[in-house]
This record gives sequence, C-alpha cells and structure tokens, in this order.
Amino acid sequence: MADTLTEPTAPPKRQPDGTRQRLADRDGFLAWIFLVPTVVYIVALVAIPFFMAIAFAFSDVTAGNPSYGWVGLENFYRVFDDAVFWQALGNTFVFTAISMVLIVVLGKVLAMILVADFKGKWLVRFLVLLPWTTPVALSSVTWLWLLHSIYSPIDWVLRNVGLIEDNMYFLGRPGLAMASVIAVHVWRLVPLAAVIMMVGILSIPDDITEASRIDGAGFWRRMFEVTIPLTFPLIAVAALFGAIFTFTDMAVVYVLTGGGPTNSTHVLASWSFVRGIGGGDIGQGAVIALFLFPLLLAAAVLILRAVRKMETI
Amino acid sequence: MPFQIDPWTRRRFLQLTGLAGAGVTLGACASEPESPADQGGGQAPSPVFNEPATKLSGELSILLWSHFVPSHDTWFDSFAKDWGKKVGVNVRVDHVDVGNVPTQIASQIQAGQGHDILQYIATLSEFEEGVLDLTDVNEEVTNRHGEQLEICRQSSFNPHTNKFYAHAPGWVPDPGNFRKSLWEPVGFPDGPSTWDDLLQGATEIKKSQGIPVGLGMSQEIDSNMFGHAVLWSHGASVQDENENVALDSPETVAAVEFVQKLFKNAMTDEVFSWNASSNNEGLIAGELSYILNSISAWRSSQEANPQVAKDTFFVPALEGPETALAAQHVMYNYVVPKHAKNPDAAKEFMLHYTDNFGLATYHSRLYDFPSWSSLSPKLGDWLSSDPFGAKPADKLSLLGNVDTAAEWSASIGHPGPSSPAIGEIIGTFVIPNMFARAARGGMSPEQTVKRAHQECERIFSRWRKRDLIGGG
Repeated sequence: MADTLTEPTAPPKRQPDGTRQRLADRDGFLAWIFLVPTVVYIVALVAIPFFMAIAFAFSDVTAGNPSYGWVGLENFYRVFDDAVFWQALGNTFVFTAISMVLIVVLGKVLAMILVADFKGKWLVRFLVLLPWTTPVALSSVTWLWLLHSIYSPIDWVLRNVGLIEDNMYFLGRPGLAMASVIAVHVWRLVPLAAVIMMVGILSIPDDITEASRIDGAGFWRRMFEVTIPLTFPLIAVAALFGAIFTFTDMAVVYVLTGGGPTNSTHVLASWSFVRGIGGGDIGQGAVIALFLFPLLLAAAVLILRAVRKMETI
Repeated sequence: MPFQIDPWTRRRFLQLTGLAGAGVTLGACASEPESPADQGGGQAPSPVFNEPATKLSGELSILLWSHFVPSHDTWFDSFAKDWGKKVGVNVRVDHVDVGNVPTQIASQIQAGQGHDILQYIATLSEFEEGVLDLTDVNEEVTNRHGEQLEICRQSSFNPHTNKFYAHAPGWVPDPGNFRKSLWEPVGFPDGPSTWDDLLQGATEIKKSQGIPVGLGMSQEIDSNMFGHAVLWSHGASVQDENENVALDSPETVAAVEFVQKLFKNAMTDEVFSWNASSNNEGLIAGELSYILNSISAWRSSQEANPQVAKDTFFVPALEGPETALAAQHVMYNYVVPKHAKNPDAAKEFMLHYTDNFGLATYHSRLYDFPSWSSLSPKLGDWLSSDPFGAKPADKLSLLGNVDTAAEWSASIGHPGPSSPAIGEIIGTFVIPNMFARAARGGMSPEQTVKRAHQECERIFSRWRKRDLIGGG
C-alpha cells in the first residue's frame, strides 16, 4: 500500500471498491468535480441574482409581493428623481477613489516592511493579516465601539492628551462619518494589498536589485525605477481588488452609520438595501444595485488584462 | 523496501477532507439549546389553555426579535414549546436581532418559504400582499376579550382593503425618562410636561452641567417615534385621516423649528448617529438628562447602574401647541406569510399567546402592554407596586393601566391607518432625516419639509397605484 502511495501516477494494483477508486484517479473527472462547486457558486450566487436584478428593475415586485408585473422604465424615473440616489452614487465613487489610493500607498509601505528581515517577522505577518481575515460585520461592530459617541477610546485618548475638549462624535458629523467609513475600508483592505504586493516584491530577481545598487541607485530611485515598474501588474491587481471590495461593500456603512447622518454616507449598495428591503420596493432597489455593474465590469476587464500581462512577463 | 509515506497524494487528500467535512457536520449538529431559566417574582398569572378548534399536528416555526428584556425570551420559548406538546405540534422558535427582522421577513416572502409566524416590533403593513388575512384571529380574540385598543387596531388593519394583515396582541408605550437629580435644580422636580418645558429645562441642564438630552434624528426606529411625537404635538402629521399626504404645513414647519432650537441648545451631534441602543447606553452612562423610550433603558440600569435607575423617573407624552401625543414605542405585529406550511397551528398559537398576554407582560418586566385591556388585569397593581424592584415601588404608576397609557399614545400612521405607505416612510426614515437636515443647518425648515413632503408623495403614489391605500 505504501508503494502505491509513493507512485501516484501508477494505476492502483488493487481496487476493492472498484469504480470509485478509478474515478478518483482520473484527471479529467476530478478536474470537473473540483470545478463544479465554483461554477455552481458563480451561477447560483452571481449570475442568477444578476439577471434577476435586471428583471426586477423593470417590475413592480415589492418585499411583500413577489409576483411579477412589468412597469417599463418607471423604477428608473423614480430612482433618478430621488436626490439620495445621486448622493449615494457620488459617495460610492468618492469612497472608492480615496480608499483605493490609500490602500495602494499604505499596502506598498506595509509590503516593504513585511519583506524586510527582522526577528518575529512571521508573527508580524500574522497580525497584519488579521483585519483581512476578520469578518467585515464583526470588525465593523468593533469599530462602532471605537467610534462610539460616549465610550470611544479614541476620544478618551485625544481628550487625555489635551487635543480635544468634547467628544468628536465621529459618526454624527457627515465629514467625520465619511472619513470613518473610508478609514475602516482602508484598515481592512490594506493587508490584502500588502500581501499581493509582497509577492510582487519577492518575485524581483536579486541580481536586478543588486545591479541597480551597484550602479548607485538609492532607495527612492530603486523604488520608482525598479520595484514599482516590475511589480506594477500586481499593484494594479491590489488596487482593483481594493476598489471592488470598497465599491460593492455595504456592511461597513450599514453597521457604522446606517447611511447617516441624513443619508450623507449612503453608497449605492446600502441605499439599494434601504429602498429595496427597508422600504419594500424591490424594483427600485434593483435599479440602484444595477448601477454597480458598469464599474465592476470595467474593473474585471482591467484585472484580467493585468493578469494576462503578468503571464507574459 | 524503504518505508515511505506521502500523506498528500490525491486519494489521501480526498479521504482527509471527506472525514474533516463529516466531523464538522457532526460537531455542528451536536450543539444543544439553552434551557430556559425560571423567572422569580411570585406574582405571575396562571397560564390559560383553550383547546384548539381543530386537531393540529406537524411543525410550527416562529421567528421573532430578541426582546430588549431577555427574561421574556426565556419564558416565551418554553411557553411556545409547552403549548406545542399539549396540542401535538412540534414548535421551533428563532430569535434574531431587531434590526435584522425586516430583512428576514422580506427574504422569506420573496423565497416563498420560511417560518409560519413572523413577528416584528413595528407595523408590517408593507408586507400585506404576502401575508394571510387574520380577521378570523382578531374576531376570535375580540369575542373572548372585548374591544381591541384603537391604537393597535390601526397598526394591524388596512381599512382600504378591509384586511387584518397582522395580529397585534401587544404594544409598548413611549414615556419620557428623566433624571430627577438634573431636572430638580432647574425648577422641574417632576420633569417636563410640555415641549417648551423640555427646551427650557434641558437648555439649562446642558449649560450648567454639560449633559444633553438624547432624542435621535437618525436612520433608526426610535428617531421615527420622536419625530412623529413632535409632529403630532404641534398639530402636524404625515397624512390626514383619509390617507392624503399632509406633511407640508405651517404646523410641520413649526415642529421643525422647535427641534432646531432644541438641538442647538440641548443636544450634541451624537443624535445623528443614534441607534436602537443609544438611549440605553446614554442613560446607563449617566450622560443623558432626558430620553424618549420604553421602560427598558431604566430596567437595564437597575442592574448596570442602580444609582441612575434610582434617579430615573417617567413622564407621559409632552404637551405641544396642539396636543400631547407619543408614538407607540413598540407595536407587535404577528403575520402569517402565505408560504406558511401550518397556518392553522399558527393562528391557534396566536390565540393561545394572546389569551396569556398577562404572562408576556409579567415576564417582560412590565415592558409589554396588551392590546386588549382585559388581558392583563393585574397590570395596574404591578405598575403601582413594581414586582421587579423599582425604587420607589410606585415609580411606574404614571402609566396607570393600559387605557391610561393609550390615551396619550397614537399609532404611527395617526390620524390615519398604518398603511404600507406609512410602513415605507418609517423604513426609509423620511421623518428623522427631515428634522436632521434642518437641525444640522443644511436646509431651512421650509425646504426640508417640502423635500420630505415630496418623498412622501412619491411613496404614497406608488402604493396608491397598487390599490393598497386610500386617498388621492
């Protein structure tokens, strides 16, 4: 039996349960078996909901009545007539753009730290990854307490070092509430970006770095003329992942601010949820959600191009 | 022959992952539900049992909120299961956080499957088309216990479609909670009795002691209740009794101007980030001088901060230029979705639960009030001499009894029914946002009222088109 285990390509000598063992050793069969969950997942949780959203956008379906009635473009007119929709659309782009820039810059810095050789490197790498591995709803609740109007430890520290007199009310003031949402997005996505970029940095051959060093290139010159150009496809992937996760996320907004104050932090995903589920208007909720699609499509195309570019390097 | 083991051959990997999956599944199945704890007190009413009208069997699943007073849930779970054992039905009760209940209901109705009974703490009128007519349940309860309170009928009955979309066995009043030690020095030892008193006293307290009032203007349910109370007290309302939008009026503008002043003088920006537990947190921390809430915040402080609990007292709805009305804090709506597999058992359970609502009142520590006055005959006595340790024992006596509290309370659609349009206005927080825009200074009172009026018109027109509301 031990001999058989050491030679995975050899056909099994004994097949006590016949067919099942033969199937388990067939590459083509296993390839399909392993692919099926992914395909089922994508079809069930992405493709079907997407086409349902398109169908609902032209319907009078409500939370209380799933029966389908065609209403043409009426839901679109109603959504466009709503000032909160335009605010949510603007917020979505603002949140995504600012988060993306911060995620890339801070992710790059973190990646440089993570590739450095120091004692306890593995512990630091583990701790750095925690924000990414923590479920977003859970981490948002933690942040809710950190930014609490009465119990915020951030307020406490700032008060005790004499920087503020009254609490900041992070989630009660539109500017600070938006900054808080962006900060939480950046906090949870920087580790992912750092790990992606770390892979890029580690893949740069040592002789290139050495050669540039011998040629007299300093840290910044090496950074901008060697490291960044060579890792650009991975930086692009990190940026696009950050953008997609920020653009489509509603958990952070929903848990932290509920879209407030006065709808000032709503994004398309959260406003779609409020209109579709809170207000019971599934049709309008679907229209709002559909506005996520064009940017996500563009992001997907860019990611695929970046990946292809990496393959040809 | 050299002994070699490579544990990560393909076959080995499949075997190990298969075993791991089976282990996880078995582990998940092995958890046990918590056993209910006994509630003390010794004054609980005796349970009542009426034989169901028909022979019942099968399963009954119930989804309801996690009660703000946890002892209620412990009692409810065993109460429901005990009934199931008696009538031959296997009962399952699931509790979810209050904020997630509407999402659960919407997704179950869309999917056409889920629980047999769905419960929420506000009107579920927007789900009318997806639920069964419960007129028979309401008629039976009325036969047994007399007339239902109007406030509860208006929150479960659609006069336009003549349908009881929900059964509303109970509700919760929304008195003002004030800290006596703060209000006494500013000349209001018994707390404010009018909105002007509130403005005057709260302004002085914030100036002298730095403690604000906590009345939410955020995207959550308590903010809706505060907003409606201010509107009604000033003679304004979202709709008239014929279900026409009536928000854009001088009375609404006056109400918004009042809230602007109140915010400027006596509140902080925290009210814009209010959530359902902010009242409780602020009161327990001793950081608020006045809140609009049920008695749950004070009940929580009895254990968490007894000093604050001792110092907290109650006032009924504040008097405005027109009247004194508060919204209900909670309005229980039980619905039976069309997909329910066991509607007969669902209806019989509702009857049984309603018959025993006195127990719900008791085990919620007087939080839940019945919709039929006769259902909790001891309530007046309990409120006069609290069995759960109020100091002084008659602290809740201002609530009088069910009828007294109902006199200064109104359903959320007042003066009309709580229609699907009203449900959507509540669900999308049109009223709290109207006040908040003016309080923050982003819009004038006139502008914000006009914008909210337009939003309401849009919502009403859509539901009117579906022939679910009147007016127009």
